[in-house]
Amino acid sequence: MTTGTAAAPLLEIADLAVGFTTRAGHLRAVDGVSLTVADGEIVGIVGESGSGKSVASLAVMGLIDTAGTVTATRLRFAGQDLLTLGARARRRLAGAEIAMIFQEPMTSLNPCFTVGFQLKESLRVHQRLRGRALTAAAVALLDQVGIPDPAARLEAFPHQMSGGMCQRVMIAIALAGNPRLLIADEPTTALDVTIQKQILDLLVALQRARGMALILITHDMGVVAETCDRVVVMYAGQVVEQRPARALFARPRHPYTAALLDALPERALGRRRLPTIPGVVPGIGDRPDGCLFHPRCARAQDVCRTDRPALAPDGAGWVRCPLPLGDPA
Amino acid sequence: MLRYLITRVGLVVPSFFGLTLLTFAMIRLIPGDPVEVLAGERGMSPERHAEMMARLGLDQPVLTQYATYLGNLLSGDFGISIVTRTSVLEEFLTLFPATIELSVAAITIAVAIGLPAGILAAVRRRSVLDHGVMAVSLTGYSMPIFWWGLILILVFSVELGLTPVSGRISAFFWVEPVTGFLLIDSLLSDEAGAFGSALHHLVLPSIVLSTLPLAVIARMTRSAMLEVLGEDYIRTARAKGLGAGRVIGLHALRNALIPVVTVIGLQMGVLLAGAILTETIFAWPGIGKWLVESIHRRDYPALQGGILLVASTVIMINLMVDLLYGLLNPRIRHQR
Ligand SMILES: Nc1ncnc2c1ncn2[C@@H]1O[C@H](COP(=O)(O)OP(=O)(O)OP(=O)(O)O)[C@@H](O)[C@H]1O
Ligand SMILES: [Mg+2]
Repeated sequence: MTTGTAAAPLLEIADLAVGFTTRAGHLRAVDGVSLTVADGEIVGIVGESGSGKSVASLAVMGLIDTAGTVTATRLRFAGQDLLTLGARARRRLAGAEIAMIFQEPMTSLNPCFTVGFQLKESLRVHQRLRGRALTAAAVALLDQVGIPDPAARLEAFPHQMSGGMCQRVMIAIALAGNPRLLIADEPTTALDVTIQKQILDLLVALQRARGMALILITHDMGVVAETCDRVVVMYAGQVVEQRPARALFARPRHPYTAALLDALPERALGRRRLPTIPGVVPGIGDRPDGCLFHPRCARAQDVCRTDRPALAPDGAGWVRCPLPLGDPA
Repeated sequence: MLRYLITRVGLVVPSFFGLTLLTFAMIRLIPGDPVEVLAGERGMSPERHAEMMARLGLDQPVLTQYATYLGNLLSGDFGISIVTRTSVLEEFLTLFPATIELSVAAITIAVAIGLPAGILAAVRRRSVLDHGVMAVSLTGYSMPIFWWGLILILVFSVELGLTPVSGRISAFFWVEPVTGFLLIDSLLSDEAGAFGSALHHLVLPSIVLSTLPLAVIARMTRSAMLEVLGEDYIRTARAKGLGAGRVIGLHALRNALIPVVTVIGLQMGVLLAGAILTETIFAWPGIGKWLVESIHRRDYPALQGGILLVASTVIMINLMVDLLYGLLNPRIRHQR
């Protein structure tokens, strides 16, 4: 699968699947995720809770534990095949070339160690810094992520800081390996509204300054519209649509994308209530035949109930729907 | 930390008073005449009885008696043994090193095996190893010490002849008591082979005594590790590209240790209780054996003082555990 960019993309994922074997049975948490990320690009991943956004990114990081199995026809990063890479080499990639930050900054830092310890640990592993240079680099990073009085903050424990400050520390730790790709998994969901904007602005500023690629996972279509170059829409473990942000917002092709956009407050102007999508994301045992979205789709036809659609090229992007809306763009 | 410290130390005072009330009441609750109980004489003449009443202060009001009792305790007077006519405190201090030696050996074994076993079981959750560790620990948990000790003696001492049956050291050696800890004293003395003999005698009783705490520590470590391994910061540690050794041995263990250290400390208290049985089985001349013998000899003053001293030791150990818990937990350490 390719995108518009001519050079080989930084990250290439084709048909990624992650299955979990639990007591309740086997769950394909991710099933058919294909996407590419170019150097320096901001890609947004949206989708309802449980659609597999986190699991897919953890699979890219190599962080799915033994209970899960990861398969893909293609999983490449910067020319390296992640599927065949040894555990040790894979680990050297995580935290360095690819870094990730998470939804709950307060619990994502180890409560028993200082900020300085946790940050220096990464710098030591990935940049082989020691002594004064190590401390100087740690202070510089905290400064870069906008933490006031960084030298003093090195001695602070996570519980002595606010959620926003913790997330800034997490970002500093993620930057410690000079990543080419940063995955931010709902980095602002747990924060106060006023802080959310600051953190997003910080991420975008860092992305620009460092020229790194950014995968931004979010529930917030408004954030996507403001920041992302390209958008990937996920539903029940699958990518259902992918295209440049502008095109996606102007002319969504998948009915699920259209429904997500209709739920945006600014699009619902004049209406008394925000439209919501009826029904819920199918769970472990109740994945329907045909298109996974058809039980909730107002446009569903017979073909949608019987045939599982494939992700197909569509204008400047991709869509997984036999009867997309409007014309390709 | 200061406030935490003051609260913890402050809590010790009421526990200690409660304890003295109990030991004070104990003598008076034992069936029979307290004078006869305390003086260790039976069938006294009425005159002698009255004289003893006055001498022991039993003719005073109860509150005055309690105040005197407390005053005596504070000045280090824990009573006089009826049997040996020596100070209870002195006897206690002579015998206590033997119990400490046994307990420290037992807790060392328990931690050295229980901690790694619990960690391994948690890391290899639901594996054969995990089930094995849990099964063995459940067995150890429910093993009656008396029976377990006898089994070990039968197998290792009687059948295989590998270990001595009883005592702290072979009768061939005479080691001058300097510290009271035989392992140390035997090294200080010029008796060749005394240390080996002391160590040899220590093996079986300390294994028996360590069984219960080992099981408790292994189970607690496993559950604490399992909980910690599911935490977000462990995912972060792995996302940083750290190796499994560092993720488990540092990031996870450091957090799991907070509850585990508490349990280990509490086991020190449990050990003193276990020591009573173990010392009796192995004729180990420590506090446990002494208390049991005091019961048999109806040496109530020794029992009264001994219980008070043992319980005070447990209170102090628990205080130290609390302080250690505060030190290990940054949230408490940095509290104002
Ligand atoms: N370790 C696991 N074992 C079993 N099932 C899991 C595991 N991790 C995730 N899942 C399941 O995989 C599905 C996808 O989860 P995921 O966390 O990727 O969703 P998400 O899109 O990130 O949702 P949210 O927006 O709530 O973060 C969920 O149904 C979840 O229950
Ligand atoms: Mg998620």
